[in-house]
Amino acid sequence: MSAAPAQRPAAWERPAAADRPTAEQSRLASYVALRVTGVMLSVLVLGHFAVTHIVTDVARDNAAFVARRLSSAVWIAWDATMLAAALAHGAIGIRLALVDYTATRARRRLLDRLVFAIAGILLALGVVAIARAAHA
Amino acid sequence: MSAAQIAFVAGLFIVLVAVTAYSALVIGNAAYGGRTLGIAVFSRTRDHGELGRAAFLAHRISGFGIFAFLALHILDIALYSLSRHLYDEVQRLYGSPPLRLFECGLLFAVLFHTANGLRLVAVDLTASAVWSRRALRIVVAATAILGAIGSGVILAPLFR
Repeated sequence: MSAAPAQRPAAWERPAAADRPTAEQSRLASYVALRVTGVMLSVLVLGHFAVTHIVTDVARDNAAFVARRLSSAVWIAWDATMLAAALAHGAIGIRLALVDYTATRARRRLLDRLVFAIAGILLALGVVAIARAAHA
Repeated sequence: MSAAQIAFVAGLFIVLVAVTAYSALVIGNAAYGGRTLGIAVFSRTRDHGELGRAAFLAHRISGFGIFAFLALHILDIALYSLSRHLYDEVQRLYGSPPLRLFECGLLFAVLFHTANGLRLVAVDLTASAVWSRRALRIVVAATAILGAIGSGVILAPLFR
């Protein structure tokens, strides 16, 4: 009687943990995401700062300025991309740094969730503001 | 000051307190190893390890600070969704002398975090320690020069 070839059990037969990425894999994914968003932000944030503080004085960045700037599709895309990239970069970065300052896994998970919840709320507020300004 | 302006100033105060507390946490944890931080950075025998360690801590602290300000900044931008008048009220504070000083600090933090972050990406891609050492000098110089020029532009209206 020959042994059946080893076969990977079907999804419903495997323990759920087998499908989850390992800690190593998710840490690598975090580092890659951190660097990709970081390189994007090096252009987006410095450009944003230059436009709102250097090219235009900050005293003139009023609602009219925002409405004028966001009447262009390029700036809507710029601001939306910057918003998402900055919040993702910040949340991932703080999560990676927290590992060094939290003693227990439970506390780390709690802080993780807090950071991501804050980032989620801020993303929603930012998207609404950009949508409002783009329609004005 | 209007209620929205008071709320913004309170928010800014919270940001500054949070950054101070986080700096104490990060630096306190780093000094726990037994060596005092920072002294070697300014000493004449400047060795790369010490400068690299300071850059690591400065990267963490500036990153946290920028995120804390970003949270406040998104909240003040969210006022735009409520009313443009409220937004303008709070936005007017950004042109005040203390806020302009704060923006200079923010500029230095963003410049350092960007330049050092790009250095880390470059080091990851090339895996070169020699390059890393030279790049750190460029990071510090670029932050100082661009930060000084930008601060000059930001503060100029106060002296007009």
